[in-house]
Amino acid sequence: MRHRDDVLTGEGLLPVLPALRDLLPGGGLQRGSVVTSGDFGLLSLALVAGAVAEGAWCAVVGVSAIGMRAAAEAGVDPDRVLLIGEPGTRWPQVVASLLDGFDVVLLGPPSAPPSQLRRKLEAAARRYGSVLVVAGDWPGAQSRLLVADAKWTGIGAGHGRLRARRARVLASGRGAGERLRSAWLWLPGPDGSVTVATGVAVSEPGVPGGGSVGTTADGSGLVATGRLASSG
Amino acid sequence: MSGAAAPRRVLVLRCPDWLDNAGTTGPPAEGSGASGQEGGAAARAFEPVVAVVEGFCPQVEVLRPGVCAIPARGPARYFGGEVELAAKLAEAVRQRGVDCQVGVADGLFAAGLAARTGRGLVVPPGKTREFLAGFPVGVLGVSDLCELLPRLGIETLGQLAGLPPAEAASRFGPPGKLACRLARGLDPRPLVPRPPAADLSAALEFDPPAEQSEPVIFAAKALADQMHDRLASDGFACVRVRVDVQFADGTQVSRLWRHDGLLSALAVAERVRWQLDGQASAPGPAGRRGMSEGNADDAGWPGSFGITLLRLVPDQLVRATGRQLALWGDPVISDRVARAALRVQAMLGHGCVTRPVLAGGRRPAEQVLLVPFGDAGVPQRPAERPWPAQIPAPAPATVYPVPLAASVTSESGEAVSVSGRAGLSAAPAWLSVADGPTHLITQWAGPWPVTQRWWDPPHACRQARFQLVADDGTAWLVALQDGRWQIEARYD
Repeated sequence: MRHRDDVLTGEGLLPVLPALRDLLPGGGLQRGSVVTSGDFGLLSLALVAGAVAEGAWCAVVGVSAIGMRAAAEAGVDPDRVLLIGEPGTRWPQVVASLLDGFDVVLLGPPSAPPSQLRRKLEAAARRYGSVLVVAGDWPGAQSRLLVADAKWTGIGAGHGRLRARRARVLASGRGAGERLRSAWLWLPGPDGSVTVATGVAVSEPGVPGGGSVGTTADGSGLVATGRLASSG
Repeated sequence: MSGAAAPRRVLVLRCPDWLDNAGTTGPPAEGSGASGQEGGAAARAFEPVVAVVEGFCPQVEVLRPGVCAIPARGPARYFGGEVELAAKLAEAVRQRGVDCQVGVADGLFAAGLAARTGRGLVVPPGKTREFLAGFPVGVLGVSDLCELLPRLGIETLGQLAGLPPAEAASRFGPPGKLACRLARGLDPRPLVPRPPAADLSAALEFDPPAEQSEPVIFAAKALADQMHDRLASDGFACVRVRVDVQFADGTQVSRLWRHDGLLSALAVAERVRWQLDGQASAPGPAGRRGMSEGNADDAGWPGSFGITLLRLVPDQLVRATGRQLALWGDPVISDRVARAALRVQAMLGHGCVTRPVLAGGRRPAEQVLLVPFGDAGVPQRPAERPWPAQIPAPAPATVYPVPLAASVTSESGEAVSVSGRAGLSAAPAWLSVADGPTHLITQWAGPWPVTQRWWDPPHACRQARFQLVADDGTAWLVALQDGRWQIEARYD
C-alpha cells in the first residue's frame, strides 16, 4: 500500500535541493534515517524543501515559530505541509504516527529525548521509510548538518537591509557519511532561495556590499569536498 | 421523470451570523471572528438551530454550518401554508437568539436565493423561473462560467434560461447544462430515476460501545471508503449522506449532510465529527451524555452510554462523472497522509493539526493563516495583493507567534526611541532578547514606520521596524510599538 514511488530517486533517497546534495551521503535524504540541522532555522527548512518540491508530504512538529513565507521562498510548498505546533507531552507518539504517512517529519524536540525514545523513533522511521529531520540534538543521527559560519550582506550601520546570508554548512555523519564535508551556501539568497555560494559569486549582482563579505580563513574551500560531478 | 417534472418545494433557513465573513463560516457569539476559525466549531454552534428546525420536520439537510433545508410540502400542509410555516420557523429560531432568514421556492437553489433576498420570502409554485430571472449569473457560483457568460452578453439568469438547453450543454459543457437547469428553476441534476436497488449503506457496530468520539470518526473514514467503493462499482456517486448514530441507551440520532461537490471519504468523516461534537454539546436528548462544556474535542460518552452503531446511508445519488473534489485546494491528499493526520487529530484535538495558508500582511506573523486540517479556509487578506511597507525577501525563518520582549539601547545605555516623524534618538548599539545576555549590534537598518488598520482598534498597529545584526551573527526583525521593543522574527 505504498504510494511513494513518485518521489523516489534511486535507492530509497528523497531528493534535496541541489545546493545540499554535496553535503549528504548519496546526494539525498536516506529513507529511514535521521538527519539533524542544528537549532531550527532556514537550514532545517532547506533540508526538507527538495523533497516537498518533488511531491513529498512534510509534517512539522513542535516548531510553532516556523516562518512559512521563508519556507515557501526556500521551495517548501505550503500545500504539502501540515503543522503540529504544540504536540504537548505526547509528542513521541505524535511523531511516530506521522512517520507512518508522511515522507518527511521535521521535528523540533520540546525536550531532550532519552535514548530509549530516540531508538523507538529511529525504528519507526526505518519501518515506514520516512525521514526524520531534527532541529536540535540527536546523538544517533545518520547525518548532522550545522551552520558553522555565517555573514549577512546588504546591511550596514544604519543603511541597507538584510539581503542575503553567506553561510558555511558543515556536514558529518556515520558510515558512508563519515567524512566531514562543508559547503558555502547562500542561506538565504536575495530571493529567499538556498543556492551554492561559489567563491567568485561573493560579490554577486544584486547583493550590494557582497564584496565586503570576505572569504573567511578557509573560504577557498568553496564547495569543499568531492562529488562535484553529480550535477544531476 | 425527467427535467419536466416540477422540482419539490424546499424551505431554506439561513443564519447570517455564520456567513458574514464572505465565504468562511464561523461561529457567532464567539466574537473573535478573525482568522483560523474551525468549521467544526461553527458546525457545533449550529447544532441547536438544527435541533429547532428538526422540530418542524425531521428531515433536516445541513448544507453547511449556517444553512439548512427542509422539504416544505409536508410541514406546510400541517402548519397551514408555506407562509405560515416560514414565519413560525423563523420565529422559533429567533427565540433561540439567532438571527435568520427563511425562503421557500421550487428547488434548493432558488430557495437559497429566496432566503438570501428577504425575510420569509415565499416564491409561489411554478413562479421560480420568473423569480430567478432578475438575478445576475454570478449567483450560480460557478467561477469560470460566471466570468464567461457576461462577456457573451448573458448577464442574468433570465437570459441564461432563455438559451436552448441543448445548445447550452454543447457550448458550455456539464457546468453549463447544470447552470441552465438551475436558471430555469429545475433541480440541478435530475435525480436518479430508480431507487438504489441494493442496500448501499455501510454500518459498523461497536462492541463494547465506543465512549470516545475519535474511534468512531476514525471508523467513519473506513466506512465511507466502503460506501464509495460500493457506489462506484454501480456507477453512482452521492451528494448527500445520512449519518445514523445509535447510542447504548437505544436512542438514535440521524442527520443528513450535503456537500457542494461530492462527498469524499474524508469529508464524510469530518461530518461525522461535526455531528458527534454537536450532539455532545447539544442540550437535546443526546446532550445529557454530559460532555464537559467547551472542549468537545476531548469529549467522551462516559458511564454506560456509548455509541453502538454507526451507519452511513447514501441518500441522493447522481451518476458518477469521475469528478472528485478535494476538500481543500488542489493537491489531492493521499490516503496515507490523511490517515496519519486524522490519527494525530484524534490524539491532540481537531485544532492542533493545521495546514498553513499564505496570507497577506505587513508583519511576518500576519502572513500565514493556520487552518485546522480538514476545514476549508480562505485568508481574508490575500497574499497576492501588493502590501506596501512589507519587509522584502528574504523572509525570516523564525516568526514568533507572540513577539518576544527585547531591549535596544544606545552606546550610553539609554533605551532607543523613535519620534513621530521616524527620527531616532540614538543609534542602536546593544540588544538583549527576552532578558537574555546583551549583544553588541554590529549592523542595523531602519526605522521603517508602518501604521495599519487605525480604523479597527483591536487590530490597529503602529510600529517602527528595524533589522538588527548582533555580534554573534544572529539577525533580528525588531519593532518598537507603544514605546516597547519587541522581537517579531529571527533571520536564521
